[in-house]
Amino acid sequence: MKLLTRYNQVNLITTIVVMLITGFIYYQAISYILTGLKDKDLVVEEQEIFDYVKLNHALPQTFESNDQQITFASAAPGSVKREFINTEYFKKDEGRKKHKKDCGEYEAGRGLISSVSVGDKYYKILIIVSKVETEDLIRLIFFITIGVILLLLAVLIITNRLILNRLWQPFYNMMGELRVFSIADEHQIPDLKTSIDEFNELNNAMVDMAAKAKHDYRDLKAFTENASHELMTPIAVINSKLDTLIQTENFSDAQSKLLNDLYSAVSRLHRLNQSLLLLVKVENGLMHDKKPINLREMAEEMVSQFEEIFNDKNIKVSSSFAEKEIFASHYLAEILLSNLISNAIRHNHNGGEIVINLNSAAFTIKNTGDSEPLPVEKIFTRFHKSSCSEGSGLGLTISREICENFGFKLEYKFEEGFHVFEVRF
Amino acid sequence: MKILIVEDEPGLRESIEEYFSEAGNICETAATYQSALAKVNMYRYDCILLDITLPGGNGLDILNNLKENNHQDGVLIISAKNSLDDRLQGLNIGADDYLVKPFHLSELKARVSAIIRRKSYNGSNLLVFNEITIDLLAKEVKVGTTPVKFTRKEFALLLYFIANKGKVVSKNAIAEHLWGDGIDMADNFDFIYSHIKNIRKKLIEAGCKDYIYAAYGMGYKFADK
Repeated sequence: MKLLTRYNQVNLITTIVVMLITGFIYYQAISYILTGLKDKDLVVEEQEIFDYVKLNHALPQTFESNDQQITFASAAPGSVKREFINTEYFKKDEGRKKHKKDCGEYEAGRGLISSVSVGDKYYKILIIVSKVETEDLIRLIFFITIGVILLLLAVLIITNRLILNRLWQPFYNMMGELRVFSIADEHQIPDLKTSIDEFNELNNAMVDMAAKAKHDYRDLKAFTENASHELMTPIAVINSKLDTLIQTENFSDAQSKLLNDLYSAVSRLHRLNQSLLLLVKVENGLMHDKKPINLREMAEEMVSQFEEIFNDKNIKVSSSFAEKEIFASHYLAEILLSNLISNAIRHNHNGGEIVINLNSAAFTIKNTGDSEPLPVEKIFTRFHKSSCSEGSGLGLTISREICENFGFKLEYKFEEGFHVFEVRF
Repeated sequence: MKILIVEDEPGLRESIEEYFSEAGNICETAATYQSALAKVNMYRYDCILLDITLPGGNGLDILNNLKENNHQDGVLIISAKNSLDDRLQGLNIGADDYLVKPFHLSELKARVSAIIRRKSYNGSNLLVFNEITIDLLAKEVKVGTTPVKFTRKEFALLLYFIANKGKVVSKNAIAEHLWGDGIDMADNFDFIYSHIKNIRKKLIEAGCKDYIYAAYGMGYKFADK
């Protein structure tokens, strides 16, 4: 639910409730005041009757006017209690008077019951005045009030919609910024200046948070890079010491086996470290040596580089290369091709087959190997590798990062017994 | 030849020094920026192995200093940084080569030999080892007067062996030299064996002595015993 909708809902409900309450109070107040006025009229009328009786020692003649009826009735002395009552006022219908005497309608009326003594006779006086005008007045006032309130409500809703939308604009802008925020790129969240303190605070908090996140992220990456760099020196020392060690003669078979294992371990450590560094660099987009590359030439060169290994494993290689030029980092393109080809070799079996195909739309490499498809969602994650693999577990991650860096897509599928990796340009 | 090793890591410095110290070679070392700068300004070297990150300063400044004074010493940068920018910067200032740590000493030796060859033979491009003569430009090998046909990799491997003559060169080092770092097939070096076999066969057939010895399954040694 949008804030505006919710706000309007609350606003509408409270306004209606408050309006009903004020309407009721208003009605009661006006009604009370107007009834008070009527009562004064009634008292004046009563006084006139008293005055008349005092003067004439007789009841005044009752007459009917349109808004007032006075009736006298004899009653037992002292039996009448003076009080104001709400009653009905029978209004005679003037037009139909001749035909039917009782024709007319009842209206709301206000009456005063009083008593007067004329000589020794005791009379009950009933004075009734029509309240219809009062009621009309109240109704009129009430409707005007409701009208004003409704108008006010409508105006409020419309202005709310307009103003709130504008007021919340900085908020929506910030939302937009947050949505496109990426911890890895250089774009900072801009400082939005609004006249609203809350938004300024929110913006400041956001800018600070983003800057801190980016800073931490950069630190982390710098750490990875530095750690890998620092590792290079000890690896270099081990490597050079091994090279020196094998210059001393007379090793037993067991010793040379140990040395060989050491060599492979150091070499793996070296490659792993190198892969980590490379990954950091590709992720940071630190490769700026983009230039046009003839991919056909590069692929052919790469395949011939691996020829001995193909032969060694008795792998049958069939390739078809079409002309294709890409604009990319030479270094990374080589790593991409070399990674994909060495993967195809490593996960192949002796006497297997590799099919490499380059056309204007894609570079595809298919290899035989396990008869089961690989888990697509896992193979591109870091350090995922099959248990028998000698690789670093970073090759495919790097390949995918390089493809993303180039704006290509690297996909895996399993087709007719072949593991297929496809780079779509 | 006279070589200056500028490297702050003692382990590495000593290994390099030991590997390069042989008859006819003079190795000097410097562990700090200041001592390196002093040596560079006092003596001339055939090749300077220059680490970039040094206590007291940046190795690239030493390179700059050399170039400003018009010294023709060969310079090989050895750096832990494998970034393209650094490599380009080093080579642009005038380094002859750039080697990234960690490296095999045999690789370093081969590169240094190549630099010194380029510097000292100056136009001439013949490398001679006993009866073997190698034309570096034409990439031709002769045993005595008999030409021997080598493939590109075999040629590279022969050069590598001659540069490291008398040393045991590990199979890892050979693989990395021939196929670059990209090769990730550490589990199987049988394909190296077939190259070696071919080289030996071709040389012996051309009447050459057998100089290549297998060393305990760890590597090979090219030596005139």
